[in-house]
Amino acid sequence: MKIRVRNLNKSYHLHPVLALQEAEFGAYELEGLIGPNGAGKSTLMGLLTQRIPPTSGNIWFDIDGHEHNLRTMRVHEVARLGLVKTNQRIQGFESLSIRDSLRLAATAHSQETLRGVLDKNQIDDDIESEIDHYLSLFSFSNPNGYALSGGEKKLLDILRCLVLKPRMLLMDEPTAGLPDDITQQVMRLVVEKARAQQMRVLIVEHDLELIWSFCDYVHFLSDGEMLFQGTPENVKKNRVVAEKYMGV
Amino acid sequence: MAYLIFSISLLLIYMGLAQLLHVQFGMLGIPNFGVVGFWGFGMYGVAVFNVQFGWPFLFALVITCLLVAILAYGLGMLILRLEGQAILCATLAFSAIVTLLVITEKWLTFGVVGLGTIQYPVRIGAATEIIYFMLLLLIIGSFQLAINKLHQSRLGRLTIAIRDNEELAASLGKDTFKTKLILFTLTSCLMGMLGGLSAPLNQFLTPNMLVPGVTFAVWIALVLGGKENTFGAMLGVFITFGLFDILVETYLPVSPEYAVMVPNFKLFLYGAVLVAVLVYRPAGILNNRQAHTRWPNADLS
Ligand SMILES: Nc1ncnc2c1ncn2[C@@H]1O[C@H](COP(=O)(O)OP(=O)(O)OP(=O)(O)O)[C@@H](O)[C@H]1O
Ligand SMILES: [Mg+2]
Repeated sequence: MKIRVRNLNKSYHLHPVLALQEAEFGAYELEGLIGPNGAGKSTLMGLLTQRIPPTSGNIWFDIDGHEHNLRTMRVHEVARLGLVKTNQRIQGFESLSIRDSLRLAATAHSQETLRGVLDKNQIDDDIESEIDHYLSLFSFSNPNGYALSGGEKKLLDILRCLVLKPRMLLMDEPTAGLPDDITQQVMRLVVEKARAQQMRVLIVEHDLELIWSFCDYVHFLSDGEMLFQGTPENVKKNRVVAEKYMGV
Repeated sequence: MAYLIFSISLLLIYMGLAQLLHVQFGMLGIPNFGVVGFWGFGMYGVAVFNVQFGWPFLFALVITCLLVAILAYGLGMLILRLEGQAILCATLAFSAIVTLLVITEKWLTFGVVGLGTIQYPVRIGAATEIIYFMLLLLIIGSFQLAINKLHQSRLGRLTIAIRDNEELAASLGKDTFKTKLILFTLTSCLMGMLGGLSAPLNQFLTPNMLVPGVTFAVWIALVLGGKENTFGAMLGVFITFGLFDILVETYLPVSPEYAVMVPNFKLFLYGAVLVAVLVYRPAGILNNRQAHTRWPNADLS
């Protein structure tokens, strides 16, 4: 399982923000993507999920030896392939309760049809028990109500993605806006799923301790270019990374 | 008495339009400002097929509904990917085109001269109007049941998600465009059906029936009652159309010299009620929740 990128470019108003000749993500269970503010990390993740249309370039998603060209796909098709992203900025459905929001994510699209409106039983027990499981792991102030604080909304955003059972999960600054203890809990869950081979994970984070302690491989992005890639030890030792990012 | 039945039959038609707009805007966030276009196309379609071609009413109605569905599908393909404001303009323009075509294509519609007479599909002497009214009541009732069912369904949950944050819904694997297209086509087609059913009520059609005022009346009703539930929309119609058009305009005793002022006074009252509702109950009369009515796609946060 991996994402392969070739000559991927993104410019806004002729101003290039991302230029990747060649890159691969997902070869390891947990990978990190780091770089200074404005380096293009979120842009790259948006390009991978097709949420942002590239200026040029190609992206392939390799699933069990079968290559899918993501460039020809729409956002929902990419998600259905199992490539899913959590959001840096808070996103949510303000009229859906926490439970309904998770139900929405867990429900197969084949059930959300006009014919499905006539189904007697709109509650799916498998989905309910899975949602109960997630809601028992995390303490929302009112699990049967709405996500209130920014932290709860951010957590819900991540849980929605987990409920989708992605093949590959992209996490854009998961810890920003989350309280420390919840961050720990989320990371424990994500790492557990990655180690159990249930999904691959790519994390964008400014919290480098988190990157060093969980990731098997780290990509360093600066000014839209991939300047260095390697194991956490090698990245830590690298002079370019130190100069451009860690302010040494 | 006959006039009262005519009025409340028309009231039911407007309630139906408000229910359908509730699905389009209240549930999916599609700001359809071309209600009168779909309704008018349906009305004139049935009239043309029935009067000009001599087709039986029911057959004319079915064919017209099909045509409206095709039209709505085509229009939906063009506009449903666009931002809210663009959809608003496009649908408004669509309805203007329908009205214009009705005026200019005299060989089909007789233009401003008017087209008639459209007979009721079944005629049972004096009871005809009442039976037709009952039929409309049945249709509006089944709309209500169907929309309730939709609200409780998985599809209904998806529509709310699309209204709130379409991009996020898509990123969860939902084909938001297809969902919007299917429901927009279906509800617009039903607006056309209500138009077709209005044809025998009006009997004689003129282009001045297809004014944007029809669209606005339905929208005002939706805002008054609250876009979040169908009862709100229906209550809104009852207040605007029922109270003002039927009661005030027809039954309020005013001396002839003031009678000309009534329609203007009505518009003034519409406005006043609308402002009062927006100030004191921004989410509609039936809604307790705080100002929740957001313009779709205006969310830049
Ligand atoms: N819609 C847009 N229009 C114009 N410029 C944009 C747009 N989106 C992003 N940019 C620019 O692209 C560059 C990369 O932005 P991006 O959000 O990918 O950075 P990032 O690495 O995620 O930064 P951060 O760590 O702050 O989240 C920035 O310079 C940003 O200003
Ligand atoms: Mg970012």
